[in-house]
Amino acid sequence: MSFEGLPAKATGKKMTFLESIYLVEIVRGLGVTISHLVKNIFATEAMPTMQYPEEKRVYSDRFRGRHHLMQREDGTPRCVACQMCSTYCPADCITIEGAEHPDPSIEKYPASFEIDLLRCVFCGLCEEACPCDAIRLDTGIYEIAADDRAKFVVDKEFLLHNKSDGTR
Amino acid sequence: MAKLTIDGKEIEVPDGTSLFDACREARGEPLPHFCYHPDLSIAGVCRLCQVEVEGMPKLTIACNTGVRDGMVVSTRNERVTQAAQQILEMHLINHPVDCPICDQAGECGLQNQYMKYGLYDSEVEIADKVNKAKAQVIGPHVILDKERCVLCSRCVRFCDEVTGTSEMGIFNRGNRAEIGTAPGVELDNNYSLNTVDICPVGALTSRDFRFQKRVWMLKAANSICPGCATGCNVRLDHEAGRLYRIKPRYNPDVNGRWMCDRGRMLYKAVHDENRLLDPARGGQTLRWAELDTDLLAGDGGLFVTSAHQSLEEMFLLKKLAAGGTVCGGLAGSDTGDSDELLLNADHTPNRQGLGLLDLPEMNGAALAEAISGTTGPVVVHGGNPAGEDVVAAALRGHGRTVYIGSHDNETAQACNLVLPGAVWAEKAGIFANRDGRLQAFSQSVARAGSSREDWRILAELAGGEVPGSLRAVREELAEALDLTEVNLNKLPARGLAPVGATSGGED
Amino acid sequence: MPIVLESLAKIVFMFLLILGMVPVLIWAERKGAAFIQDRTGPNRAAIGGVRLAGLVHPIADVLKLVFKEDVQPDARHKAMYNMAPWAAMTIAVSSYAVIPFGDFITIAGRKIPLVVADLQVGALYVLAVASLGTYGVVMGGWAANNKFTFLGGIRATAQMISYEISMGLALMGLMLVFASLRITDIVAGQGDLIFGFLPKWGVVVQPLGFVLFITAVFAETNRNPFDLPEGESEIVAGFHLEYSSLKFALFFMAEYCHMVVGAALISAFYFGGYQIPWLPRPVLEAHAGGLLTGKLIAIIIVSGIFAVLFLRRAQKERNKFGDARDREPRIGAGLWLMVAAGAAGALLLKPWHIGPQGAEMVASIAQIFAFVGKVVFFAWLFIWVRWTLPRFRYDQLMHLGWKVMLPLGLANLVVTAVVMALV
Ligand code: SF4
Ligand code: SF4
Ligand code: SF4
Ligand code: SF4
Ligand code: FES
Repeated sequence: MSFEGLPAKATGKKMTFLESIYLVEIVRGLGVTISHLVKNIFATEAMPTMQYPEEKRVYSDRFRGRHHLMQREDGTPRCVACQMCSTYCPADCITIEGAEHPDPSIEKYPASFEIDLLRCVFCGLCEEACPCDAIRLDTGIYEIAADDRAKFVVDKEFLLHNKSDGTR
Repeated sequence: MAKLTIDGKEIEVPDGTSLFDACREARGEPLPHFCYHPDLSIAGVCRLCQVEVEGMPKLTIACNTGVRDGMVVSTRNERVTQAAQQILEMHLINHPVDCPICDQAGECGLQNQYMKYGLYDSEVEIADKVNKAKAQVIGPHVILDKERCVLCSRCVRFCDEVTGTSEMGIFNRGNRAEIGTAPGVELDNNYSLNTVDICPVGALTSRDFRFQKRVWMLKAANSICPGCATGCNVRLDHEAGRLYRIKPRYNPDVNGRWMCDRGRMLYKAVHDENRLLDPARGGQTLRWAELDTDLLAGDGGLFVTSAHQSLEEMFLLKKLAAGGTVCGGLAGSDTGDSDELLLNADHTPNRQGLGLLDLPEMNGAALAEAISGTTGPVVVHGGNPAGEDVVAAALRGHGRTVYIGSHDNETAQACNLVLPGAVWAEKAGIFANRDGRLQAFSQSVARAGSSREDWRILAELAGGEVPGSLRAVREELAEALDLTEVNLNKLPARGLAPVGATSGGED
Repeated sequence: MPIVLESLAKIVFMFLLILGMVPVLIWAERKGAAFIQDRTGPNRAAIGGVRLAGLVHPIADVLKLVFKEDVQPDARHKAMYNMAPWAAMTIAVSSYAVIPFGDFITIAGRKIPLVVADLQVGALYVLAVASLGTYGVVMGGWAANNKFTFLGGIRATAQMISYEISMGLALMGLMLVFASLRITDIVAGQGDLIFGFLPKWGVVVQPLGFVLFITAVFAETNRNPFDLPEGESEIVAGFHLEYSSLKFALFFMAEYCHMVVGAALISAFYFGGYQIPWLPRPVLEAHAGGLLTGKLIAIIIVSGIFAVLFLRRAQKERNKFGDARDREPRIGAGLWLMVAAGAAGALLLKPWHIGPQGAEMVASIAQIFAFVGKVVFFAWLFIWVRWTLPRFRYDQLMHLGWKVMLPLGLANLVVTAVVMALV
């Protein structure tokens, strides 16, 4: 790996006397910082900072936000509780309990499906592991806040009706 | 003896060995296979184990070929691996590949072989696959998915050769060939879950374990089945403090590769609602710290153990008894069904242990009399002697009774002080099976509630007169049993056979 | 009796000055850091929509810290643990007693020197109190019974020992030049001119001493690049790791008090204290009227400009937020306009015609302002440096203290002594 524009290895350049007593360099450094300060005082608007709740950045469609569970046509989860996602999840934050589905052609469905959003690192590996395209991180929701840890453990009902393509 | 060369390696095997076994020895791993099973007859139907034998024009299956002196065999050349891949592809033509909902996934022969020998891109249209019945309940314990079956006939041979019940068969031909039970018959024998074990794919799965857990999440602990005097070697699969299933562990001297269905269900008792969780006195729940052993004061007394306890515990109770009378529990309790295969009529794991430690059993009347007759304390350890009304009455009549046990039962109801002990999966210990073979089991899951290992409870009651670790208890036990040569802390893998017993089978 | 009242009044003035500067400095630190790093900095806390460019944040912080839970480690040394923040705070403000913040002021015919305690050995007092400064840190670090806090305390001690020597040596040069240990003498001596045009400031006569002194002061105040006792990348938060709520606030304030004191020392010793260069007291008094007028006019112009800037913003950002914050630019413009109007009104009183008494007053106040101005500048320097330089490594710190500054300080002293003997 190499970084463009950087020397491949440290040059071990000897400091000149002036540099080695630091003072001049310190003053130069102070000059750099104060120039930023002055510039920014007179051009506050030009600063790149975003005033977050009022202004929001537009993210790419591929942004990984809060998960949602895909639905079948009848509104039940597409998930078959194979637990590939929870197996692959590096944060170990998905808990699934499988159960026998009344429809024999489906066989297995998740009786419970919980994600601990506090532990999730939004890596998207669950989405990648899923053989049924049942879980997606495509809601684009990144404002995940609550006043109680328990509220971060979201259940199947929540995940099924969780924005992106409808409902709640 | 026959000398042969396999993959350039010379080995010598006894005459009559199958080429399959010879190859396993030479390669260090078995050939790909579905139908071969060491305890069943040879079927040679899956065609996966093909090898190239010099001098033979075509590839030949190793499982149905005997070794011959001077044979030169290759198992890894391109022709062989390609054959394995093609056969595998054929097995998978009509396979549903519904691994996500298949309980076998993770320990599936198809998956394993595919990852090792397959790895081709499938050319089969899903719509063209032959559909067969899925999720058919075929017995009290087993559920069948015909689509997943690779027609290896292991289950058929098991039912024919091991249990002799012949419930299973393969019906129809060609594409439509499918596995099933004979018309009007259920796969209902006490060994039916072994077919689940030997089925290399997810065609036969356990109804009890169905959808409970993905198998790769389970951790295993070695143990001994406590269900009967046979003492089958088992593996406890558990996760997060819960047992999920029991599988047999190979021990040619005891159970071979099988175990009975009754034994497999015993894990349920561990998480039973009926467990004793806290010490209690007169129905009042206590904390261990509040425990007062005044009930035990005084000389003499009666100390009753049971054939369900480990050798160590029996030994400690005997020590605790000191001057008192000791008894091995109710004679003839816990007996029931038996069969020729494994299940013993004696449904306790350690009745032989009582004999080893010289703890005589009594019948109900004698026990009741002994209880009423003693002025000292009565300590009952495990079992349920109060299942007999006379004993229950006697216990109620006596004021100073202690019960150490894991489950709530008549005896717990009848005693003043109840101390919650551990079940076998929650502690370590040694059982002596029907032949007197000593077999050790280890702890797999955490103890329920505030229950404690029984030997600790006994040690506490004995008040410091006993060693402080199970290791030390076993050392004393070995001395008492006159087993000075033996290290009870490190019993052999197949258990310690009684003197004169013969041993057989390969490892 | 009046002398007691006087001293009390001066103490109160000093206290208010220091404590009043703390929130302003905190604000300057945050906002300055933000602007230096091309960020906008704190701008959320508001009172009725008015945010004062973030100046409301220190108030919000104080409220937060007051109401936060005071989490304390179980195994602490109770007395020491509770005492440490107070010790840090007290020591930080106490060196201020000997620093003159003006020459004198005449009130009701009494000539009052503007220093709390004009000690004979003021410079020594400063050194002594500066050394005490570590106690707060060490006590806190040790009493909290945590490895990291303890390390922080140890670092503070080692740093103090290494740098107070250079500090003392630098000051000794200054004492030789001004032939006094009394700080008022030293400051008064800096009112002269050398060769008729160069103010005889400490920094002019003792340039090397100044560099040594300012470095040592940075080290003593535990500010970047010498903030190893906190060193959050290595020891989490150093000595105040186990403090929370008000006790933490005290440590935090002590740091800023230290900065103010450090800035005051630098200005008193090396930048002429309250002296305005080329304008010695008699000149000041003579031209008081003109000065005052000029000042008022300057205020009118500057606040006028600000008012216009605010008005422009008011126009540009109409309904930007859609809440109370939209009023802000208009309020700001109004305030600046009021200041300008006030100054203009003051002009009506004909300030160029003030009598001798008034002139004296104006001169005193001008000098106090000069001093405060210098202090503010050096306090800003502390902040400025912090956001410019990286932290030293511990060995570099020791190397600089013992192998560079100590020899330089000795050399400076010897040369100064020789020069003074010859002149
Ligand atoms: S995004 Fe990553 S961490 Fe979060 S649930 Fe999915 S796999 Fe786990
Ligand atoms: S991987 Fe997909 S189908 Fe499997 S459990 Fe997770 S969400 Fe459900
Ligand atoms: S039998 Fe094996 S390959 Fe077939 S679905 Fe089950 S796990 Fe997958
Ligand atoms: S059900 Fe299983 S064991 Fe029986 S033939 Fe099919 S694959 Fe073999
Ligand atoms: S294992 Fe040899 S044919 Fe199946």
